Amino acid sequence: MADEHPTPRFAESPAARIAPSADLSADREADIFARMRHRVLRTLLGQTFSRSRFRVSLVTSLCVILWGGMFWIFHDGFIFLQNNLQDPEIHTNVVGAVFGMFFAALMVMLVFSSGVILYSFLFCSKEVTYLLTIPARTQRVFLHKFQEAVVLSSWGFVLLGSPALIAYGVTEHAPWHYYAMLLPNVIAFVYIPVAVGAILCLLVIRFLPNGRAAALYGGLGIFVGGLLWAGWRLAGGSANNLLTPNWFVELFDRLQFSEQRLLPSWWLASSLLDAVSGAWAESVLFMTLLISNAMLLRQVSQWIAKKIYRDAYSGLCGRTRRRHRRPGRLRFDGLVSAAIDFLPQPAKLMIVKDLRLFRRDPAQWSQMLVFLGLLAFYFLNIRRFTYNAYYVGWVNMVSFLNLAVVGLLLSTFTTRFVFPMISLEGRRFWILGLLPVPREMILWSKFLFAVGGSIVPCSLLVLLSDLMLDISPMVLASHQITCLLLCLGLSGIAVGLGARLPNFREQSPARIAAGFGGTLNLFISTLYILAIVLLTALPVHFYLAAELLSNGASPSTVEWWVKLWLVAGVIGSIALGIIATVVPLRIGLRAFRQMEF
Amino acid sequence: MIEFENVARAYGRKVVVRDLTLTVPPGELFALLGPNGAGKTTSIKMLTGLLRPTAGRVRVCGQDVADDVRRAARFIGYVPEEPFLYDKLTGREFLEFAAEMRGLDRQARESAIRRECEDFDLTDFIDDLTETYSHGMKQRLALASAFLHQPAVLVIDEPMVGLDPRSVRITKDRLRERAAAGAAVFMSTHTLTVAEEIADRIGIMDHGQLYFLGTLAQLQEELAAEDASLEPLFLQLTEGSNGR
Repeated sequence: MADEHPTPRFAESPAARIAPSADLSADREADIFARMRHRVLRTLLGQTFSRSRFRVSLVTSLCVILWGGMFWIFHDGFIFLQNNLQDPEIHTNVVGAVFGMFFAALMVMLVFSSGVILYSFLFCSKEVTYLLTIPARTQRVFLHKFQEAVVLSSWGFVLLGSPALIAYGVTEHAPWHYYAMLLPNVIAFVYIPVAVGAILCLLVIRFLPNGRAAALYGGLGIFVGGLLWAGWRLAGGSANNLLTPNWFVELFDRLQFSEQRLLPSWWLASSLLDAVSGAWAESVLFMTLLISNAMLLRQVSQWIAKKIYRDAYSGLCGRTRRRHRRPGRLRFDGLVSAAIDFLPQPAKLMIVKDLRLFRRDPAQWSQMLVFLGLLAFYFLNIRRFTYNAYYVGWVNMVSFLNLAVVGLLLSTFTTRFVFPMISLEGRRFWILGLLPVPREMILWSKFLFAVGGSIVPCSLLVLLSDLMLDISPMVLASHQITCLLLCLGLSGIAVGLGARLPNFREQSPARIAAGFGGTLNLFISTLYILAIVLLTALPVHFYLAAELLSNGASPSTVEWWVKLWLVAGVIGSIALGIIATVVPLRIGLRAFRQMEF
Repeated sequence: MIEFENVARAYGRKVVVRDLTLTVPPGELFALLGPNGAGKTTSIKMLTGLLRPTAGRVRVCGQDVADDVRRAARFIGYVPEEPFLYDKLTGREFLEFAAEMRGLDRQARESAIRRECEDFDLTDFIDDLTETYSHGMKQRLALASAFLHQPAVLVIDEPMVGLDPRSVRITKDRLRERAAAGAAVFMSTHTLTVAEEIADRIGIMDHGQLYFLGTLAQLQEELAAEDASLEPLFLQLTEGSNGR
């Protein structure tokens, strides 16, 4: 049926201009990209400082407080090491092993996270689709996104690692060049795992486009397996009591595996330790080793990108399989639906809908599953630590610390997943808004979804920790009540603030959580956890201590004011839990009723 | 000049474009029509180098796109269905970036931006951040960026979506002007009246195959429906296809 008919109806003067646009040199191209990025950054900073001063002040203050707190903890920790490990050689070896282990773990995490980040940057971003259609070099497009990944990966390291490194320099009275070498060392170090992550990402997508999920989960499995193995080695039945000099020596022996000479983490640890000890030449040698390897890997990743990036991009396009699902209710949804049958029908439907969305997005729950698994593994291994009578008093404290850790994990869950729910709902509000459902019902269903989703794993984790620590039934019961208060309060805070401070412009839950509202949510949640745990932990701790000091005499011998404090603590924590649940929800409900979409 | 030579593209086992052979000579405005999922956007992505054909060749001004996509891109101005703009750049800054990437020097750049601002009626908002633009404003800016270097080949996916009547008129005129100046214009659209009005030739694609290639008169002749507009002819040809 096709018939060539090349005579244009409208042709006037087909004086074809066949010449292509000019070819840019690589340097000129780099300049143009740099200028564009500079303009974007300038606008972003200008907007942030002019429109959101309160937000910037709050985030800066939180960062300063977090940094200061970590510096203080690390500083005290290094002083403790100095006092307990008088032998300078043992001291240096233990610190070197701890640094080596820390940097090695960080390196593996960076390889993994940068691979995932670069997958989304290089293959799922609209910007890249645009850049690949203009005459930009393929390796320039790759480098543009690679540099973004380096910045994203290194800021966390700078925020979390710098207090430890600076605290170590201060306690060891390090010379000035130790501090001067920190930044180049850290940047060069971060470049290496990010480049490795980028290369792995390109290779997987190019040669295993259908197996990318398997590669991701396989990598995740290896990473978690490695962590478990390291944890097992470290926690395995120690012959010495905790935190004694002999225990440190034993710990050092167990950390030897992180001291492989070919690992960049060892080069970084060596460069920093040599800088502290004044071995200037050795320190610079290790730094140049890091920098040269970083530059080499950057070049290699660019070269690989030039060869395979476009093919990988083309190969991946259209690979998203349409997954046909059986119509009607799935078995799991049916079970959940039956479990919440007592709720009004609209709330039940909303909860099942949210659960379905959550379940079908593995990016949402896979990280949380890893953290829950690691925490469970740690709790299961608590008994592998040995302690004598002096440390028995620590058991209750450790149990409350474990409770606080579960609370902190829960707060990251509510910040990352529950807080953005209302913001994400904004885009589909035309569906919900037209339903004969009161707006309050939407918010209540989010709250019930959050509480229901968090109470089961958190209670089980806390129960596991308590059983492993073999604590008294009274403390166990108080932990379960505290856990319930944490789930209610943290869910209330996240849902309430999510409705009060929504971000309808953003589609990514991670970006919504990383914004001002998410940061504020995390901050308030952390304060709430500390307050609740301290309110219940301190009185119980003193009550048990008083019992212990009275050599197991009956509870009636415990001072009356300790008992009063115990009762007041429980009542106070329940009151605080109710306030933290009700007040944010009321604020959220009011804002949600008045919200315009 | 655009040439598709026995081009095929598969996504896994599913073939979405089959044996596509098509030439768009300089000075022609070609409209590719077809229901959803017919393979139009895949064909355009192969033309712009985003996708590689599973078989066959795509050439732009004699340059095989798969062999040297960067050189081929230097001939092309491309506007996708949902164009990307940098939110934190002004319209002018975005056009400057696009013009610089096309190798225009300062003088040529300024003059090209001035010309496109006037032609696409961008002057009132060109110095605002693009995040403040409506859909139509964004579409006009994306069109302007594709016209900046006066490309030999213009590739446009659904150019009229979201444009107001005035912008539609401007866009139609500009596309015709480019074709009249000797460019090969390749347009994919669902707006049959636009294709009817401005296209020199049309292609109708369904299930990855080109079912018809020719002028409207040839289509009317083929389907024995003289004086019928494009809509009934299109529906007749694609009967049974419910889009995907």
